[in-house]
Amino acid sequence: MANSTTLSTGKTFAWGGGKSPFSVSYGKLMMWIFLLSDAFTFSSLLIAYGFIRYSYQAPIANTIIKPLQHVGENFVEEMKKAGLFVQDHWPAPELVFNHFPFIHGMHLPLFFVSLMTFILIFSSVTMVLAVEAGHRMKKDEVANYMLLTIIGGAAFLGCQAWEWATFIHEGARLDYNPFGPRSFAALFFIVTGFHGFHVFSGVVLNVIIYLNVLAGTYEDRGHYEMVEKVGLYWHFVDLVWVFVFTFFYLI
Amino acid sequence: MEHLEHTETPSDMKSQIWKTFWILLGLTVIDIALYFILLSYHSMLKNALFIILGVVKAWYIVGVFMHMKFERKMLMYTIILPMIFVVFLVILMLIEGDFTNKLRW
Repeated sequence: MANSTTLSTGKTFAWGGGKSPFSVSYGKLMMWIFLLSDAFTFSSLLIAYGFIRYSYQAPIANTIIKPLQHVGENFVEEMKKAGLFVQDHWPAPELVFNHFPFIHGMHLPLFFVSLMTFILIFSSVTMVLAVEAGHRMKKDEVANYMLLTIIGGAAFLGCQAWEWATFIHEGARLDYNPFGPRSFAALFFIVTGFHGFHVFSGVVLNVIIYLNVLAGTYEDRGHYEMVEKVGLYWHFVDLVWVFVFTFFYLI
Repeated sequence: MEHLEHTETPSDMKSQIWKTFWILLGLTVIDIALYFILLSYHSMLKNALFIILGVVKAWYIVGVFMHMKFERKMLMYTIILPMIFVVFLVILMLIEGDFTNKLRW
């Protein structure tokens, strides 16, 4: 009996009861657990991509066109004729994602997706600044940073919509891919679509939090922990993009 | 080791956030630069390089932005250790993908 008493009152024993052994609130811990399960989901999708890609032949080295060079209107047909888009080989991402809004006839691999990456990193920074302002109970600052985060998220979604529209315009579908193996387009739509839906959910949550901040809900509550919880989710979306960017565009 | 968060002043936290932003930006720029330098060069080594850079970026996002560095070690291990299953699946599926590749061609 004496032993159990020392356990429950001992300061050094975290699992003694009476307080959270993780030293975080219930909601925050549950957000972490949810993010862990979501990380498994995204890992499965990306590993499926890795497996399917690895089971095809490696992309054929492109010696025809260099960055910033002029490309014709029927670029895909030219690449097919040149033997760079074939059924047995995975297409080189640099030849597929080489468009930029308002710039026509130029080979710009990775330019647009780099811009998207910068937008998402920046919106992550404004989110963490909102959390930091919340610790200081500065309502206006939290609201401003939340608004910037929402704008960043919306800008990212707009970029992704444009990317999808371009890809579909070139003939890519869930069950058809003009660049080579069919699964390339299917995986692109499923993985970036799943990530994009997460971004969309994040923007919706951010808008709700933003309106609550403006209404003074957290000011009355005495803490801005809700901003932190949604912030965790938002950073996770950024984290997933780091890996989508690496696997779909860089490798 | 009670919650380090309370020992930090707001300006400390702010400077750390911006420092992390510049690190993330720098790593992304390195990513892009490497991509163009090694554009016509394909090997597992190059892929590994990009994955390592991705993991470093992930560490800064989770550690600083998601505040994991300052939480209890218990929480950190609860979230990080299960990711070992992902590493396991990656290794398994790469072996399997290679085998499928050899069967096809």
